[in-house]
Amino acid sequence: MPKLVIDGREIEVPAGVTVLQACEAAGVEVPRFCYHERLSIAGNCRMCLVEMEKSPKPIASCAMPAADGMVIRTDSPMAKKARKGVMEFLLINHPLDCPICDQGGECDLQDQAMAYGFDRSRYIENKRAVEDKEFGPLVKTSMTRCIHCTRCIRFATEVAGVEDLGATGRGEHMEVGTYVEKALASEMSGNIIDLCPVGALTSKPYAFTARPWELRKTESVDVMDAIGSNIRVDARGNEVMRVLPRLNEDINEEWISDKTRFACDGLKRQRLDRPYVRRRGKLVEATWPEAFGAIAEAVKDLSGEKIAAIVGDQCDAESMVVLKDLVAQLGSPNVDCRQDRAKLDASCRAGYLFNTTIAGIESADVALLIGTDPRREAAIVNTRLRKRHRMGGFAVGVIGPHNDLTYKYDYLGGGGQTLVELANGRHGFAEKLKAAKRPMLILGQGALARPDGAAVLGVARKLAESFGMVRGADHASGAWNGFNVLHTAAARVGGLDLGLVPGPKGRDVAGILDGAEAGDIKVVFLLAADEINTKRLGKAFVIYQGHHGDSGAQRADVILPGAAYTEKNGTYVNTEGRVQHGYAAISPPGDAREDWKILRALSERLGFKPAYDSLKQVRARLNEVSPTFGRPDAIVPSAWGQFGQAQSQVQPQPFLSTVVNFYMTDPIGRASVTMAKCTQAFVLKSAGKTGTDG
Amino acid sequence: MADFWNFYAWPTIIIVLQIVAIVVPLLVAVAYLTLAERKVIGAIQLRKGPNVVGWFGLLQPFADGLKLFLKETVVPSGANRGVFIIAPMATFVLSLVGWAVIPFDAGMVLADINVGVLYLFAISSLGVYGIVMAGWASNSRYAFLGALRSAAQMVSYEVSIGFVIITVLLCVGSLNLSQIVLAQQGMWFFIPLLPMFVVFFISGLAETNRSPFDLPEGESEIVAGYMVEYSSMVFALFFLGEYANMILMSAMTCVLFLGGWLPPFDIAPFNWIPGPIWFALKIAAVLFLFLWVRATMPRYRYDQLMRLGWKVFLPLSLIWVVLTAGVLVATGWAPVTNR
Amino acid sequence: MAFLDRGARTLFLWELLSGLALTFTYMFKPKVTLNYPYEKGPLSPRFRGEHVLRRYPSGEERCIACKLCEAVCPAQAITIEAEPRADGIRRTTRYDIDMTKCIYCGLCQEACPVDAIVEGPNFEFATETRAELIYTKEKLLANGDRWESEIARNLATDAPYR
Repeated sequence: MPKLVIDGREIEVPAGVTVLQACEAAGVEVPRFCYHERLSIAGNCRMCLVEMEKSPKPIASCAMPAADGMVIRTDSPMAKKARKGVMEFLLINHPLDCPICDQGGECDLQDQAMAYGFDRSRYIENKRAVEDKEFGPLVKTSMTRCIHCTRCIRFATEVAGVEDLGATGRGEHMEVGTYVEKALASEMSGNIIDLCPVGALTSKPYAFTARPWELRKTESVDVMDAIGSNIRVDARGNEVMRVLPRLNEDINEEWISDKTRFACDGLKRQRLDRPYVRRRGKLVEATWPEAFGAIAEAVKDLSGEKIAAIVGDQCDAESMVVLKDLVAQLGSPNVDCRQDRAKLDASCRAGYLFNTTIAGIESADVALLIGTDPRREAAIVNTRLRKRHRMGGFAVGVIGPHNDLTYKYDYLGGGGQTLVELANGRHGFAEKLKAAKRPMLILGQGALARPDGAAVLGVARKLAESFGMVRGADHASGAWNGFNVLHTAAARVGGLDLGLVPGPKGRDVAGILDGAEAGDIKVVFLLAADEINTKRLGKAFVIYQGHHGDSGAQRADVILPGAAYTEKNGTYVNTEGRVQHGYAAISPPGDAREDWKILRALSERLGFKPAYDSLKQVRARLNEVSPTFGRPDAIVPSAWGQFGQAQSQVQPQPFLSTVVNFYMTDPIGRASVTMAKCTQAFVLKSAGKTGTDG
Repeated sequence: MADFWNFYAWPTIIIVLQIVAIVVPLLVAVAYLTLAERKVIGAIQLRKGPNVVGWFGLLQPFADGLKLFLKETVVPSGANRGVFIIAPMATFVLSLVGWAVIPFDAGMVLADINVGVLYLFAISSLGVYGIVMAGWASNSRYAFLGALRSAAQMVSYEVSIGFVIITVLLCVGSLNLSQIVLAQQGMWFFIPLLPMFVVFFISGLAETNRSPFDLPEGESEIVAGYMVEYSSMVFALFFLGEYANMILMSAMTCVLFLGGWLPPFDIAPFNWIPGPIWFALKIAAVLFLFLWVRATMPRYRYDQLMRLGWKVFLPLSLIWVVLTAGVLVATGWAPVTNR
Repeated sequence: MAFLDRGARTLFLWELLSGLALTFTYMFKPKVTLNYPYEKGPLSPRFRGEHVLRRYPSGEERCIACKLCEAVCPAQAITIEAEPRADGIRRTTRYDIDMTKCIYCGLCQEACPVDAIVEGPNFEFATETRAELIYTKEKLLANGDRWESEIARNLATDAPYR
């Protein structure tokens, strides 16, 4: 515990921290460009120079370990002069682009130049100009602005795990680039935009469209995957301009995936902004009463078992609970939230959660990935796994898709065979699992969304139990739960928590589609459910409530326009079982409304008396159905129990990831131009080349 | 039938024609008073005033009237519609009916009643109703404040006006306006009753809500007072009524103090000019005084206004009533009534 | 004797009368009115009239969509939307000034880094409808083309004092 004096104040800091961190602990801000707390230390911008007693020169505080007895002055004339000098050098070659630079207004260099800059230039020689690099469809470059902090290089190498970026040349001729002209093939590449302290790397889709001071910032939760990344939605007028990450150490740290960041332009296209009713085979615009009237006509005198509801992947818990109540009032047991037909068991909460938690990955020492490709299904989890991998002493085994996960792993095999072998301890990797203190397994939807999914689940439970992955009752007493289900849909855990699974004698998704095809199911309600084969809905009367004109809406007989995640105050439960609230950044387009309000109005029109009139009352109802909803942002420990079918046979076919194209997993991504460009650049192109990606 | 014509139809037609003969020139006078006001104030402020519409701007009043006529009548949603519409009409009508008793020349008067002064006094007092109605019906804070100010101000100054009129009546011995004028054949009353003339004129400014006593309108504080919600023709009625009131007040001043239609000296060439011309000239002179004062004096503060009314004018006029009566009795100059 | 003097002044309304006399003399002084449509006053080079968007001599519009004018506008009269033009250059797709909101403070031209938005010498742009006072980019650029010579002269005249 070194003790040092910073600006006359004595402070004790943990061993191993740098002088800069010590200064921050003392509440003194030190300017910096290259230093970033989540990246390795480069010490090349020299902006963090401070004066140290007994040192003839100022020291770079970010690279100097704090030692006992140091006397640091951050505000001495020497430190100030040093920083002014560094700033002048940085500005020598930095163009005066601020008015046309997208970073203008949120630029570190701009801000620090206000504090340490000189109001005119003494440099009269020619300025340096650097050719812009092509980083793909997401990142726009303006390399003349680059100040060589190398944050982007370190991020790509360390966090994203793609060694695409690097610097060539020395001194004034140093250039950051991809060596050869190629797009930055990482699903986390957007984060280098946030990291770049100047405007050298900016967002391509957002280019020139807005200024930071025009944006209305709303803190919300992402629904593009089941991670529930904390995001900040920046809107101007009634338009979402961009999505940025929000710090949450437990979930996404300060990163978000490219899908989370860039799919927001899909919110402006293909939107359902008014109700539609199918008349003589064609969808025609209608009013809300007309649409409700058509639904009332369709369900009139229909017995409950002929009505079914399928819940989509991005629904908020509020709309799901209102739908659950509506379906119950209609007397139907046919409701399912597992569009991908994953054989998840809603009866045991620990059996469908990511029990270890995302932050908990860092304390695991062996991970077994079963039928999952975390890089595409949950990039944030993959980033955590990579972070754990870089800490060292971390073995990863994979059963299932054999893809580049950005870290080394043991490929154990492709399918059920290997899993059963491993569960019975007849596989080499079993030794590692046995030896591990905190082993974990991650069960992907690719392993569960198959006819033998229940058996896989059962084997996985057995595996977890037999290798000591589940120990103790709660996390506090050194307990460990290494059994994890990695979901791909933001609504899934919420739906399972609310029990949106078939009731007694009810049909699941497969059963509903079979029934609709056979004519046993007359009315199907799709709550933003697009990932089903709509051709199999047969002659059923299909009601689609959602925000995008995707496959569900095309088949629908009545369309009720709902709100996307940026347009409603919704509750989402991420794959860890963490309940989070998202907030509306803008209002839904046209006649579209918040989803729970639509369902409430519909149930009133159908003659039922809903028990809630306000969001507060709906949330009270949520709490009533599942008490975990009353504890937002917290991990509620779930008791271990019986789930899955251990007795039935696991088929030997290989496990495939459910996510084929990382960029287009949902209606918003499919409507997004940026995601289409990414698909073109990263998925189709590389698929054409190697055939292994995606 | 002949009776009908002799006793009903002809008198009615004659009265209507007489009314038209009074009202039409009056309205034209009102129109040109607005122009005169802008010209006079312009001149005093080193401006030219309106000079574009017609020669020297002579058609300006009609352009203004046309503009107001073509505008939309806006009735605020919170207003009491009926009262809101009636208020400007009341103001306008009251400013016209006072003219019934004003003598333009010897015998040239619509209604030569022997309580003419009381009638006039009553009519000018009623004027406050239009303003109070407007202020209340507008359902607006500014309008209501303006109306309250106006009511308090008019009530305050009517008291001193009443005493001034009593002083004049003491000297005349009649309430008939023609009698009052004729009583001034020797000497106009403004000479012996000069202080009362000043009190009357200043009170007249307050009574007509003219500057420096235009607190009910008070643009800088309450926007336009009771008129704030009015537009178009209903506003025009207020506007016309206000200026007609000014002319009526000037006419009263002339009748009471400046010898009505009488020439200043009953010798040639003054007595060649007909009485109505003299009367009009005197009214114009008093109106000029109104405008001149407006261009000179800043607005009073409300407490100053009340202080002037109650603490200066009221005692002063009371003392003058007593003084005049005393002098008249002591000298035996008091007029002797026949009845 | 002062109180007598003051009393007499009060009694005979001396101050009122002297005020009236003063204004009366002013009635006959020469008038200063300009016969506006026929006579006009001189304009300073800094006069802030109708807005224009200027171009470079090459014909390229100056505005780079930095939105500083929009940000600085105290009346929030300026609305700008921007996106990359076909050649990748930052340009506005919309530049609207609501002249009914504008207070002609000139902060927009002070904020402009490229002298694109300038308040020109024109002040005679009254319209019959409000809609005509919502100036679009086309209108502003057309204004710029029309007033360029005057504006360039005004800017040159004012340049030494900046």
